[in-house]
Amino acid sequence: MLDVAKIDHWAASGSGPFHRASTLSKVLFLMLVVAGAVVASSPYPLMAGYALILAVAIGARLPWTSMVPLSLYAVVFALLYGLSLRGGALLFGLLIFKAVTPSLAMITLIMTTPYPRIFSLLSTVLPELLASTLFMTYRTLFILLDMMGNFAAAIRLRGGLSPGSLAKNSSNIARGIAMLLVRAVERASRLYAVMAVRGYSGSMAQKGAEGLRPGDWLPLGTGVLVLAAAIAWK
Amino acid sequence: MTHMHIPDGILPIWLWLAGFLVMSLVLAFSFYRVRGMDTKKKVPLLGALSAVMLVGMTLPVLPGYHINLTVVTGILMGPSLGMVAAFVTNVILSLMGHGGITVIGLNTLLVGSETVLGHLLFTLLKRLPVFWRAAVATVLTLFITTLMLVGIVAVSHLDPEVLHQGEEHGNEILNGSVSTFAWMALSLGAVGWLIEAAITGAVVRFIAQVKPDLLGHDLHRSPGRKG
Repeated sequence: MLDVAKIDHWAASGSGPFHRASTLSKVLFLMLVVAGAVVASSPYPLMAGYALILAVAIGARLPWTSMVPLSLYAVVFALLYGLSLRGGALLFGLLIFKAVTPSLAMITLIMTTPYPRIFSLLSTVLPELLASTLFMTYRTLFILLDMMGNFAAAIRLRGGLSPGSLAKNSSNIARGIAMLLVRAVERASRLYAVMAVRGYSGSMAQKGAEGLRPGDWLPLGTGVLVLAAAIAWK
Repeated sequence: MTHMHIPDGILPIWLWLAGFLVMSLVLAFSFYRVRGMDTKKKVPLLGALSAVMLVGMTLPVLPGYHINLTVVTGILMGPSLGMVAAFVTNVILSLMGHGGITVIGLNTLLVGSETVLGHLLFTLLKRLPVFWRAAVATVLTLFITTLMLVGIVAVSHLDPEVLHQGEEHGNEILNGSVSTFAWMALSLGAVGWLIEAAITGAVVRFIAQVKPDLLGHDLHRSPGRKG
């Protein structure tokens, strides 16, 4: 699983050309790469697309040594699915690059764009309940991850996790999750009360999409090239 | 346990488009069902439980296995809000590169089915002690949704254009490959169902002891409605 806090830090603290591009252009870049993966019938254009996105990431001073392993995470299920298709090496190559190329594009998006900006863009097309819940989930996730980290440290210090004792470990993990859940619900109730006092009326996520800027040529150009290669290599 | 980590571009276009269409209809029905509720009061709670599901997915209980807590969410939130939580969780997962964007629809249907079935089965199995009630509901739910996952994979192979799958010997390959996938999903999944069932049972028992009002389904009841 990804280190959400680290990704959030990279997204908020970078200042390269990808960070400066608008959220809309980066989402369009992702859509173009996904479209490229959907239409591709050969692994080679997607391989070239992966290399291009990686080169752009290196040029834009993104943490590419962390991005590559994260993009490979998508390979596992692609391989499992490939086994179910019983294809040859070319089919496996196609499946793997259909998995890792959009995955690298997604990682480029989330490592250069703070989540609230992505949710802000999504809120223009989603119902209010969904947009607000997305924002609230994102906010609560960091609090809970922190609480879970503290719980894991506490249980380890008190000898609650012992190697080889699956039953004892499961029982302690289950209690930790249950405690986390009860606390999450209590926090949610308190939070609602605080928000209601401050005039919360059902809308939370900042709405609206920023327009395109001159600096958007980099994400848009990269996306167009990946899609064009996938279409041309038919 | 049963959401698909399938990346973009692998499933046939008609299948994931159908997934988005059905998901939109199901979400629209869920919104219709919660129309009487004070939904702004539910937002912090939905956010909290969706975040708990995401935290559960960060916990590798065994190598290659993580828990989902979808049945717990279904039991606490009810089917309609459970479906909303499933959508939110899948959007954030895909934004973390954990599964493709194009499979959000199908994944929401799978995870959402777990919340709906979990809630339904927990409600039906009233006679069992609370631990077993939640655990049995979890195993049955995950068994059914794993079959749904196998069904999705089987249906995806029916596209004659899919990934240059040849027409010759097509049926032979299809039957063999889907049964291989089904065998792998069911046998590997069964271990996961038991782990998830044990943890879900313990979590729900703890809640029943510490905060039983959460299991009274007050959370997903409209303030004006009874029953």
